[in-house]
Amino acid sequence: MSATATAPDRLRAGGKPPRRAEGGALSRPRGTIATVIMAVLALVWLFPLIWAVLNSFRSYAYTQQNGYLSFGGWTLDNYRTVWQDSGLGKYFLNSLIITVPAVILTLFLSSLVAFVLARFSYRFNLTLLAVFLAANLMPPQALLIPVYRMFRSIPLPLFMSESGTVLGSYWGLIAINVAFQMGFCTFVLSNYMKTLPHEIYEQAQLDGASVWRQYWQLTMPLVRPALAALGTLEVTWIYNEFFWATVLLGGQGDKFPITSALNNLRGQFFVDYNLLSAGSVLVALPVLVVFFVLQKQFVAGLTLGSTKG
Amino acid sequence: MNQPRPGYQQIPASVLGMAASRRNVLRGGLLTGALLGSSTFLAACGGDSGGGDASGAVKFGMNEASGAGPAFDRLAQMAEAYAKKSGVKVDRNEVDHNTFQENINTYLQGNPDDVFTWFAGFRMNEFAEKGLISDVSDVWPIDGMADSFKTAATASDGKQYFVPKDYYPWAVFYKKSVFEKFGYVPPTDLAELMTLTKKMQGDDITPFAFADKDGWPAMGTFDILNMRINGFDFHMSLMAGDEEWDSAEVKQVFETWASLLPVHQADPLGRTWQEAATSMSKGECGMYLLGTFVVDAIPDDEDDLDFFTFPELDSSIGATALDAPIDGFCLSVAGKNQAGGKEMLKYLGTAEAADAGNKGTTPFIAANSNATTSGYSALQTKSAEVVGAAENIAQFLDRDTRADFATTVIIPSIQKFLDDPSDIDGVTKSIQEQKESIFV
Repeated sequence: MSATATAPDRLRAGGKPPRRAEGGALSRPRGTIATVIMAVLALVWLFPLIWAVLNSFRSYAYTQQNGYLSFGGWTLDNYRTVWQDSGLGKYFLNSLIITVPAVILTLFLSSLVAFVLARFSYRFNLTLLAVFLAANLMPPQALLIPVYRMFRSIPLPLFMSESGTVLGSYWGLIAINVAFQMGFCTFVLSNYMKTLPHEIYEQAQLDGASVWRQYWQLTMPLVRPALAALGTLEVTWIYNEFFWATVLLGGQGDKFPITSALNNLRGQFFVDYNLLSAGSVLVALPVLVVFFVLQKQFVAGLTLGSTKG
Repeated sequence: MNQPRPGYQQIPASVLGMAASRRNVLRGGLLTGALLGSSTFLAACGGDSGGGDASGAVKFGMNEASGAGPAFDRLAQMAEAYAKKSGVKVDRNEVDHNTFQENINTYLQGNPDDVFTWFAGFRMNEFAEKGLISDVSDVWPIDGMADSFKTAATASDGKQYFVPKDYYPWAVFYKKSVFEKFGYVPPTDLAELMTLTKKMQGDDITPFAFADKDGWPAMGTFDILNMRINGFDFHMSLMAGDEEWDSAEVKQVFETWASLLPVHQADPLGRTWQEAATSMSKGECGMYLLGTFVVDAIPDDEDDLDFFTFPELDSSIGATALDAPIDGFCLSVAGKNQAGGKEMLKYLGTAEAADAGNKGTTPFIAANSNATTSGYSALQTKSAEVVGAAENIAQFLDRDTRADFATTVIIPSIQKFLDDPSDIDGVTKSIQEQKESIFV
């Protein structure tokens, strides 16, 4: 358990804790204290997760009879029920349909903005960056009603949306996700691009590279670590997005992404928490996969940024 | 771009469907409905505005998702039976109960399904007044549907906007084996109730199981106490916002409740109703005031469960009222297929539809009295008797009043009261102040 406890923790802190432990900046007893504190914090942080995973393997009848502090009632039935009865596969596909275009669009559009902000000095550069950042701080709930009404009155051809409006289609949901995530991505990418040496752009200009070429063939390969790091984060955030998906799909149950569809495991009155845990574990898996596949680039992106200058 | 193709292909099928339904309709002598149906159908075909189906299919919004168990099966079976009988395609939209209910406002103002599941009474009236659901008074009277259901389906303008499906009563549940073992008898008035609770405490049993972690279960206790102490009419006008929450009457309800709390399970705020039901199942508690869905949490005890209506507290008021929420269907104004939806509603009210849905193991009871009852369990049969004998039926607190008032004011207030039962004046005053800002 301690191995699982420290691994994500270390990753989350961007590789700093191991350096501190080995670096000798702290004396030995203080280092031990720090380790103990971090272990305790990691355990506190992981406890609900481990608890959910444990209970997802237990039968409802057993825990209801003996309480959650008991030990026993092991079963795989919860996972079987989740997968078979509620057809989660369909909802995973919906999540994919929303997440992939949204992440690609967000990264593409924000890298365009970031490139301009970082490479050219216009009068409104700072204002533009501030606007992006400010929008990022805005609570989405405050925009619920205007966005809902706006989407309801924008018509779409029927082959794009069964409902005939942006409301109830994936287009609107993808657009709103892109809009809300662009602020953060633009901010990170423009800061990252500013750290690229100015000389290579002068060189490129001397060689006759157009602005587009400077962006696409010079900047983009260089910011790949940052893009990978942002990609990981954005996949997690957009995949986990619940609020807009529930509201903007116009209550069409078969279009819900997996996060909203998790509610299907709750009845009107009756809630089987073990079943819900099994569902949650399944829903969390794709994020973990993305994280572990991209973690090398994720960590590389963080350290690249921090050692520069 | 491939959308027009299947639509085009569906036209012959829908024409067939129309013909089939017209035959049924003619038999029922309701030609107008079919004519209306075909005209909407043609309009939808020709116009580019409408969107949705040109095929005459009915969109059916269900507040249960697959995996939710018998409640879902029942709705799905009814929809299937209608599709089979009429030849009309029924497009099911399955959304889980809580999400459906929380999104009902955006749903109805957006692109709602034609027919959707909803609640009778106040919550239906709200939408009728806002013009979000269609007048379906020509579906009424429905053969086999009692007057009390018609009243529950009638909005403030005197027209019907609702077709009932089923209902379930709230009552005091107990285990027959426990009552037999200790020789307990269901009480009929306050004195008997107090004697019974004393006896139970003597036998080391907590008289009432009690939980309010979810927020809504304790509303049932408030409802029944208010109806027993102040009567049904006062309860309904209090729910409608016409009475003061800091009045002597309401305070008396809370005082009575406070005096009964010692015979309830302690610390209800940390317990879900399922846990409370389990403690009754284990014999730690003697009784539990809840809806018949209590069976869902303790299915093994179904044959051992019995119930009685909450005893009278005031002999001048009696024990003739109870909570029995009615579920059913409405027709949305924004739905594209009004005539087709109405045809489906007409079917959903029949005994035939009730029978089609009643193959599950659900403890709920069909609203239509002509429905077959031979397949009912003992609990279902008794529920039907008890509700049939009741003079007045309430729909449950969060259905009899504004949803925002129930969830944002009543739930936290009741939880605060259960946490500290001594401050009744403070709780009622705070409810009243918030009520004034919500009911304008």
